[in-house]
Amino acid sequence: MRNRFTELFEGLLNSNPFKNYYKKNRLRPPGAASEETFMELCIRCARCIEVCPYDSIERADLFEKLQIGTPYIYPENKACYLCMRCMKVCPTGALNPKLTDGKKVRMGIAVINQNTCLNFLYYKDEMLGVSATGTAQLCGTCYNVCPYTDEAIVMEKFILPVVTDKCTGCGICTEKCPATPEKAIAIYPEGMPVDKNTGYFGRRSKVHGRERKKSADALKGEKLLEEKQKIDSSDVKPDFEYNTENYDEQY
Amino acid sequence: MKIKIYRRAAQILTVFAIFFIPVLNVFELYFVKGTFISMDIGDAAMADPLAVFQSMIAAGRVNEYMLGSVVIPIVLMLLLGRVWCSWFCPYYLCAEFMSWLRRKLKLKAYKPKYSENIHIRQARVRYIFLFAGLVLMAIAGVPILNLISAPGVISTQAMVIVKFHYVTFELVFVAVLLLLEFFYFRFWCRFFCPTGTFLSFFRSKRGMTVRKVKEDCSNCMSCVRSCPMMINPMTMGESAHCNNCGDCVDACPDNKAQDTLKFTFK
Repeated sequence: MRNRFTELFEGLLNSNPFKNYYKKNRLRPPGAASEETFMELCIRCARCIEVCPYDSIERADLFEKLQIGTPYIYPENKACYLCMRCMKVCPTGALNPKLTDGKKVRMGIAVINQNTCLNFLYYKDEMLGVSATGTAQLCGTCYNVCPYTDEAIVMEKFILPVVTDKCTGCGICTEKCPATPEKAIAIYPEGMPVDKNTGYFGRRSKVHGRERKKSADALKGEKLLEEKQKIDSSDVKPDFEYNTENYDEQY
Repeated sequence: MKIKIYRRAAQILTVFAIFFIPVLNVFELYFVKGTFISMDIGDAAMADPLAVFQSMIAAGRVNEYMLGSVVIPIVLMLLLGRVWCSWFCPYYLCAEFMSWLRRKLKLKAYKPKYSENIHIRQARVRYIFLFAGLVLMAIAGVPILNLISAPGVISTQAMVIVKFHYVTFELVFVAVLLLLEFFYFRFWCRFFCPTGTFLSFFRSKRGMTVRKVKEDCSNCMSCVRSCPMMINPMTMGESAHCNNCGDCVDACPDNKAQDTLKFTFK
């Protein structure tokens, strides 16, 4: 039965750009199927929302296009605490009811912004010998609040938090991160870096952003993640000389 | 004792429940949870068969959770007929309230005259609407018919009010339907409601149906006049339109002397 036309038709039906799109810091509840399958399976009955004891799961409203009524977790407001109640009540298996171990949850992955993370800033300052701005702080909140301490987030050189692949994407670190004005740690939902899955906004940026791609800052998705993870300030010396002799005169 | 009293009690209890269940859940009592799209009492899960059917064809897969959750609604449907619509659906109560309001305001009757063909026209529109909705749903790949399921929207909104203290824009959809209901008699239930149409596929003739048990009656046609779904209860109790509301049984004057029009099991 499968021929060129059925495949064409299948592709046409399955590539509805409004069906799924990803956003940073917007996650599906734990145990969710891949975004596309989730959108097909979820009947918007809101039982996972009702059963959530922390009010973490919120209901997508009308402005979320076809996602309306589906459950979302916004870890900046309230993270998932992995109590594993929501998947048991799902009537269609959009959330996998067989998942009982919090360690096996993969909602997304945390990515630390090394330019705003307090510990990374502190480390940079420490390299100079003394704090340049006088505001350097030691933090380690993400390491302390992580439900899988020393597994999902490890402290490199006892000071630099690094996310490993055991990260469940629960987002507690994002909720608690004290960096202002923007949180230094963000969750990228599972499947977001895959180009095929980017959905509505990914497609739109593809159409409009063809020329921009040549420039260096047009990195997207997985490449951007890779590029960010390459940044390791542990051995990097600042590229400027600090003038310690005139310190008192300057400040 | 009139059937209508029991029915009204069931409806009002249901409306009470859609607000009370989220309150229980806020206090972390999870014995009953869910909305009218899907709900469970204890460990018995129930889901709207249309919602589950949609996700079956959208995802192209069937799993045991889907099948498990439609067992109770379908068994109820086979035993008692389409009682969901008239005995429990909160939208039906609102629509009845609209008729009551019209009667109180002394506006002229807006119920269309009974004719032989009206149910055929109703059925045609219902099935075409359901089919078009399913085709649209298959193209979108998302169970969108749930978004226009009036009882589902009402109960989800009740949950949102209780749990998050706000209302989303979907409530406008129900408000518009009720406004139209004020001018067109039961138009959503009779012509469009996809949930009711899909439920009526599981109607069994062996289940509870209205039948004329006595051979002859006074032929006063008061049952026909009372029927909200515009069918003739004396001959078409088995029709997919009948939602077992029992209004015709209440209206029949012959019932007082001898059982004439009754709910029967075959």
